[in-house]
Amino acid sequence: MAFISSGYNPEKPMENRITDIGPQHFTEFLQPVIKKNFGKWLYHEILEAGVLKHVAESGDAVYTVRCGTARLMTVTHIREICDIADEWCGGYLRFTTRNNIEFMLEDEAKALELKKFLNGQKFSGGSIKFPVGGTGAGVTNIVHTQGWVHCHTPATDASGTVKATMDAVFDQFTDMKLPAPVRISMACCLNMCGAVHCSDIAILGIHRKPPIIDHKYLDNLCEIPLAVAACPTGAVRPSKVEIDGETYKTVAIKEERCMFCGNCYTMCPSLPLADKEGDGIALMVGGKVSNRITKPAFSKVVVPFIPNNPPRWPEMTDVITRILNAYSEGANKYERLGDWAARIGWERFFEVCDLEFTEHLIDDFRDPAYYTWRQTTQFKW
Amino acid sequence: MAVVEFKGKSFEVDEDGFLQRFEDWTPEWVDYIKDTEGIKEMTDDHQKVIDFLQDYYKKNGIAPMVRILSKVTGFKLKQIYELFPSGPGKGACKMAGLPKPTGCV
Repeated sequence: MAFISSGYNPEKPMENRITDIGPQHFTEFLQPVIKKNFGKWLYHEILEAGVLKHVAESGDAVYTVRCGTARLMTVTHIREICDIADEWCGGYLRFTTRNNIEFMLEDEAKALELKKFLNGQKFSGGSIKFPVGGTGAGVTNIVHTQGWVHCHTPATDASGTVKATMDAVFDQFTDMKLPAPVRISMACCLNMCGAVHCSDIAILGIHRKPPIIDHKYLDNLCEIPLAVAACPTGAVRPSKVEIDGETYKTVAIKEERCMFCGNCYTMCPSLPLADKEGDGIALMVGGKVSNRITKPAFSKVVVPFIPNNPPRWPEMTDVITRILNAYSEGANKYERLGDWAARIGWERFFEVCDLEFTEHLIDDFRDPAYYTWRQTTQFKW
Repeated sequence: MAVVEFKGKSFEVDEDGFLQRFEDWTPEWVDYIKDTEGIKEMTDDHQKVIDFLQDYYKKNGIAPMVRILSKVTGFKLKQIYELFPSGPGKGACKMAGLPKPTGCV
């Protein structure tokens, strides 16, 4: 397309430049009933999966219909969302912290009708455009990352694994029959953008091979001390190599100390480590952020490696459904997945989920690893 | 990688316009890149920042942290942005011929 100026003048870049205005204030976009009753809500209830009712002191009620999204979406899709908001909700809508969409209405019958309407909207491939659910004790949307769509450090894909997982657990999104909410999160490398370190079930992309060193270019493209300092195990050290009679400043990596975190590649473009066969997925379980009954907890690694198997990652979705089913059958009401595993004991968790326990799961990172070992005779055969 | 020709010199650059080799830097590079960085006229203050970045890089192998740049040159971050509208990383480091900043930027 030919260039169309927005009015910006590249000859005078600082002229008419507007900065530091921040986001627009959220009150500009509040649905009228919510604006009127702001800070004066009495109670709420979940009418059915995906439909909430909030009642204010004034007696006003607002009905919220929550539906899933793929997070990664086109402007066409956003316009369709706006069309629905225009037709049903006076042009108001919002997104949740797990990237679901919420439509707010003032009429209960209309809200239930909107749920039916949303569930009927489909893409040409057959997927539901706006599946209603994500409330109560079910599986809501998966917090995820960039993957192969946009990032340069991933060990797996985000959108693909998430679609495969949500398809496998879709019934739990549109229903509320689990002991407690189950949060599934996904990160495509162990930078862990998002919530994998604190989710009931977490999908994490990992590498299994050390970086390849591009000796000829490393000193030009990288600040060597940063690459050295990026390593959590001290595997990277500065060095010199001779190639074709020329000496290059570079780094050396002790492969037996490298655990393939990829931090050095983040700092230095000459240390790529992505690998088709080596890369894959680790699964973690048992994290949570809420303070309800028990403290917030980190998720723990329970499956050290599942191969990348695009486009549907069947080995991964199989393990996730197995964990979810075992939890669903075994846990008490209100018990989050981590609370359940802690109550029955992790040795029993591996047994009921039919997971293999390998040496990879035993913490060996610095002094704190010791506290994850069992210093008691209390265990089950 | 693209090669830029300017005043009889040639510079190898990446897609973001950073020099591929610090050794390739010459004063002509600053002349060439200053327009795209929104700088009309090079002042002594500009030069002071560039000189310090180059000295620090030669001595330490890394670009200085922003607080060190401020402390040594005496320019507050605001003044650095006034000198280099794209900031100390994209603006000043690029002009000084340092490698492209990395990490989650």
